[in-house]
Amino acid sequence: MIKRLSDLEQYLRERNVKTRLVVVAAQDANVIEAVVKAKKTGIVDVTLVGNKRIIEDVFARHNYELSGMEIIHEENDTLAGVTAVKLIKEKKAHILMNGQESYFGASLISKPILDKKDGIVKGKTMSHVAVFELEHYHKLVAVTDVAVNISPDLKAKAAIISNAVFLMRRFGIETPKVAVLAAIEVVNDKMPATMDAAMLSKMAQRGQIKNCIIDGPLAFDNAISEKSALHKGIKSEVSGDVDILLAPDIETAGTLYQSFMFFANAHVASITVGASAPVVLTTKLDTLETRFNSILLSASTYLK
Amino acid sequence: MITKLSDIFERIDTTQDRKRIAVVAAHDENVLDAVTLATKKSIVDAVLVGDREKILEIADAHQFDLTGCEIVDEKENIDAAYTAVRLIREGSAHILMKGNVDTPTYLRPVLHGTEGLRTGDILSSIAIFELKGYHKVVSLTDGGLNIAPDLKTKVSIVRNGVFFMNCLGIKKPKVAVLGALEFVNEHMTATIDGALLSKMAQRGQLKNCIVDGPLSFDNAISADSARFKGIESEVAGDADVLIAPNIETANVLYKSFVYLANASPAAVIMGASVPIVLTSRADTETVKLNSIALAASINLQ
Repeated sequence: MIKRLSDLEQYLRERNVKTRLVVVAAQDANVIEAVVKAKKTGIVDVTLVGNKRIIEDVFARHNYELSGMEIIHEENDTLAGVTAVKLIKEKKAHILMNGQESYFGASLISKPILDKKDGIVKGKTMSHVAVFELEHYHKLVAVTDVAVNISPDLKAKAAIISNAVFLMRRFGIETPKVAVLAAIEVVNDKMPATMDAAMLSKMAQRGQIKNCIIDGPLAFDNAISEKSALHKGIKSEVSGDVDILLAPDIETAGTLYQSFMFFANAHVASITVGASAPVVLTTKLDTLETRFNSILLSASTYLK
Repeated sequence: MITKLSDIFERIDTTQDRKRIAVVAAHDENVLDAVTLATKKSIVDAVLVGDREKILEIADAHQFDLTGCEIVDEKENIDAAYTAVRLIREGSAHILMKGNVDTPTYLRPVLHGTEGLRTGDILSSIAIFELKGYHKVVSLTDGGLNIAPDLKTKVSIVRNGVFFMNCLGIKKPKVAVLGALEFVNEHMTATIDGALLSKMAQRGQLKNCIVDGPLSFDNAISADSARFKGIESEVAGDADVLIAPNIETANVLYKSFVYLANASPAAVIMGASVPIVLTSRADTETVKLNSIALAASINLQ
């Protein structure tokens, strides 16, 4: 089990993870910087799909090592997305990356990924998982879903949990603890988030959602602080030891994500899971560290 | 643990201080039969509110002994109902029982906003059974009053059921919320409510009980069946209270216990300041007597 994102690299190296990353519209200096750094770890090989002339220019300007980088020339960004998804589908690449947009639905790659015939989602729910290292929390904690599902219903929430559970289990957490967030910790028939939470708890208890312990509804403080939970009279295995925070909607998840970043000096790695390959979907505002961490996090989905 | 209904009836105070049952529209052969039997056994005293002439006529024809029975003459059923409720509010009667009167008329004064008997959110009907294949008595609710209860109503039904068991001395009853299956299924409201009620008990929104649901009937009453299904539950196989998703399920279950498992239940309505007996014409004399005895056994304070 790793407690820090900076331990990811060693963790993956020790387990001989080797994957190929394909980058869509790779003619972006920030994305190239992260990709070059990731390649140096030996964990990922790289295929860059985009404008070859600009890509080579970026490499030259920053003195990056170009040898060993596969470049597929494609001036049209939309077609670059199609080409990259095709590589994933043919299993010639294992991680898809797009460094431009944060919201999946608006991204270049959403269309080719979701395409019924040529896409890489086979009836499964895709969801975004952000894994945080927080100063005041004793382990990594995942927040989902900030980027794909806007207002998930019960079925979607169950799938979102399963996706996050799959990811956290890669780090040796056999039975991740999932908190289903709501505004309050009690069931209220006027607050659907609390009702879904109660149902998801029961579904885990009955084995309908596997390999995890779910408790909800929990307010955020109850989820991350046992003291706060006990103060409210909540006895829960999850309280204070949560591995996965399921937000009721994209706004709550996004706000939580941003508040971690702006106020809690957080380190983060985030990916989209549920397709046949992980998708790195970082924003222009993200740091090199976040992009790098996210690539490694994607590679970790190939851990047995 | 209560294994027999007779264990419950041992609680009845048969001394001079015994309870008094107010019978609404007592001019009914079956009801008078059960009530006079109960007075004879010193289970209760009775105040018979109804048509005095008819009451005396019936008693005479069937040689019912009216010792221990006071008669209050009320020709109209609705007047009888209001008078009986007034007697209870004044403290001179402690149990309400339905005679030859339709249920809406019987309950109207009970539900009256200021002069009624209601204490909880709703009234709900609870039957308690002694079943040969089960290791203790088990309650079933609601087969009588609430037709298709929503979550809020089910909360009240659970509360009434738990309070009922508390009154019988079972401090932390195990409540099974029945569904057609033990999984959460978004198309089956009963399973959703089962999950919600479980969580509400876990969070202390339902007190003094352990709730698990959804459970199918076999999981609720058979530990083997639950184990076979891989259900880990404190309630499975050891339920004290069965919460049916609707009146049809409760009613069918009630009748299958009676007709196929030879059970003679006792039933009362909870949610009022006194136990209310509402037996139906189809109920046997034993069930009527059991229900009077049950009502006399419950101390609502």
